[in-house]
Amino acid sequence: MKTASTKTKVLTANRLTDGIAVWLGANGEWTTSLKEAFLARHDDAVAAIEAAGQQALDDNRVVDVNVIEVEETEAGPRPFRLRERIRSDGPTIDYAPAFTAGVSHAA
Amino acid sequence: MTVIWTQDGIVEDDPWSQPESEGGPKLLPLAEALDHAQDNAPFGVVLQPADDVRALAPILERVAIVALTFPAFSDGRAFSQAMLLRERLGYQGEMRAVGTVLLDQVPLMLRTGFDSFEVEHAPTIKRLAEKRLPGIDLHYQPAADETRAGPGYSWRRTAMLNG
Amino acid sequence: MYRYDEFDHAFVAARVSQFRDQVERRLTGEISEDAFKPLRLMNGVYLQLHAYMLRVAVPYGTLDSRQMRKLAHIARTYDRGYGHFTTRQNIQYNWPKLSDIPAILEELAEVEMHAIQTSGNCIRNVTADHFAGAAADEVADPRPYAEILRQWSSVHPEFSFLPRKFKIAVTAAERDRAAIQTHDIGLQLKKNDQGELGFAVWIGGGQGRTPILAKKVRDFLPEADLLSYVTAIMRVYNLHGRRDNKYKARIKILVHETGVEQLSAEIEAEWQHLKDGELKLPEADIAAINAYFEPPKLAPRAEGWGELAAWKKSDPGFADWVGRNVAPHRHPDYAMVTISLKPIGGIPGDASAAQMDAVARLAEEFAHDEIRVTHEQNLVLPHVALADLEPLYRALLADGLATANAGLITDIIACPGLDYCALANARSIPVAQEISNRFGDPARQAEIGDLKIKISGCINACGHHHVGHIGILGVEKKGAELYQISLGGSGDENASIGQITGRGFEPHQITDAIETIVDTYLAQRSSTEETFIECYRRIGADPFKAALYSSEAEAA
Repeated sequence: MKTASTKTKVLTANRLTDGIAVWLGANGEWTTSLKEAFLARHDDAVAAIEAAGQQALDDNRVVDVNVIEVEETEAGPRPFRLRERIRSDGPTIDYAPAFTAGVSHAA
Repeated sequence: MTVIWTQDGIVEDDPWSQPESEGGPKLLPLAEALDHAQDNAPFGVVLQPADDVRALAPILERVAIVALTFPAFSDGRAFSQAMLLRERLGYQGEMRAVGTVLLDQVPLMLRTGFDSFEVEHAPTIKRLAEKRLPGIDLHYQPAADETRAGPGYSWRRTAMLNG
Repeated sequence: MYRYDEFDHAFVAARVSQFRDQVERRLTGEISEDAFKPLRLMNGVYLQLHAYMLRVAVPYGTLDSRQMRKLAHIARTYDRGYGHFTTRQNIQYNWPKLSDIPAILEELAEVEMHAIQTSGNCIRNVTADHFAGAAADEVADPRPYAEILRQWSSVHPEFSFLPRKFKIAVTAAERDRAAIQTHDIGLQLKKNDQGELGFAVWIGGGQGRTPILAKKVRDFLPEADLLSYVTAIMRVYNLHGRRDNKYKARIKILVHETGVEQLSAEIEAEWQHLKDGELKLPEADIAAINAYFEPPKLAPRAEGWGELAAWKKSDPGFADWVGRNVAPHRHPDYAMVTISLKPIGGIPGDASAAQMDAVARLAEEFAHDEIRVTHEQNLVLPHVALADLEPLYRALLADGLATANAGLITDIIACPGLDYCALANARSIPVAQEISNRFGDPARQAEIGDLKIKISGCINACGHHHVGHIGILGVEKKGAELYQISLGGSGDENASIGQITGRGFEPHQITDAIETIVDTYLAQRSSTEETFIECYRRIGADPFKAALYSSEAEAA
């Protein structure tokens, strides 16, 4: 659909070394937080992030590079697809009580 | 650049990769090879994965080289074609892997009876030229390569020598 | 159980260095992701939604405590403190770093484990009856043959780039606990009239997009011919299996399109050239592998009979657990114990590092150091004296491992689904959790009786939904999750493929729909003795469909 190009887009991938989901930030660095992702609001910006993604792929920094559509909300960008929301927020289940307890304890 | 590699190293002046216009001998598809079997000139055959290698049986003595094609790394039919040529038809001439030849597949190709390789990928050529094959010298099954009986069980084999 | 000899150790060490070299080439950029992907897959490394995933082989589901402790150690050191036991008797880690995987494989090699061929279009981990070596109804232990197949198929030069993945399962009992009819090759070990061992051979079973039950091609293949015959099958498949469409590439489609008679004739013709060759198994080799699987020496423990009765009387919880999770062993003083990895509301198949350590400790203390992983995502201690059941139960209870639900409605198989999996279209685990919570009351579960629910988050059917008595398939429709229900599937010796009931259910409706089906069964069953699957086979799908969809028709 041509109209899709009006939707805000962000660039996502997984880091080569550890596979962790990342998004391309406004500063050109890959970030593990979707909130810090660069929001591409028009075609030129989308072309720019696509080029950056191809470059990062060629440089073997990331794999599985994709442009995804997001909705801009007060809480930050929210992907339209559930799959991408889960990539951003983590599994929807309480999957590793020992690990998550450790993390929150440390934080 | 495409090169031909064998266990003896990079092959210079491989006749089968010369363009035909420059007088190189021909690699013929299966049907043509069956037609040309009565000619005197030496010829080779290039098979596609769907070809039945057993059709070559009547003319195999006259074939100078068989090239088996890997259209993609994931298409492994030529491994079985190679086994049939070596083990079933007793073919002893040159057997070449052409198409997509990945470094990590070369050890498996050697085991199934390939002895020459058409390679394009520069890092692969470098590794092959340095004889740094990523293979394992211990095998859990007999194949078409020369091996020693492995220790323990009848199905095991060990490589005759490293590389 | 099988122990590595020097050859095996050297082989696995070489495979680890080979993979280390492949990872290094990838990390330095010498090879692209496209070239690396088939290499990593062949060693069980996937890229999932959040991270890489490493699938470790548990050959025919057999482990000892040293291995289980290593799995716990890996979970703790390289992952987030847990692992997921799968429907192929393997274990998966969901968060390893690619750069750590060579080190993980080295640690696994120390305890005779690996990740070889746990993915890729090659011969996968050979699975077997999880009660093998202990069950009263087997003609012999099937695992030695699975081990021979494991060795023979490892880094097979001819069969590493097949049209599609290839799964072999072996059982030795009439009661099929290995689901052999849903495998590419199913082998049933049996004895002929002369008392010789051999196999009934089935080919072309599979689930996925097109579920098909296997066809029998051999009623009795002598054991000596195992490798030559399997080679013949593999060669015919490798040459003729479809490669134009990955959904039509499994051998089941070749069997279906060629016809089993013709394909079987081609296999036999190929086999004629191989049967007297170097793959013929010498008796001495079969005997030598069998010797590794000698059952443990089980001392008489007749005192357990009386003790068991007394304990059951004094503790109803223990009695329930014995009733559900303990099965008769071929030695009358012993039992086979299922450790449920399906706590009520939990994640099917997940075990924490602490739980893995606990199982290792209990296997040493009470179970002759043997552990099994089942394709139903539970663990088994195959040799426990009746006299030890009560202390074992107490210890399991302390670690959250004593859920008394083996074979019941909350003993749900579920794939990782969209919470982890890059292929999934919908979540599986939350659906399993909600159903488990809804039916978690022990009395209610007992009232319902044997009922297998199996959930897949996409058409690849890792959650075996086609052979669930109730199968649930998650799909994506207009960007939302939707769940289709099928009924009447079964993966045992009376295998059948479930039939879809009709339109799917939204996430908030699916548990109610399951409840409707269960209530229909309870209302329709001829007696409490008639199980769900028996009832379904007697009355058919219509009463269930009517119950599921009638209110809607009335409303409309």
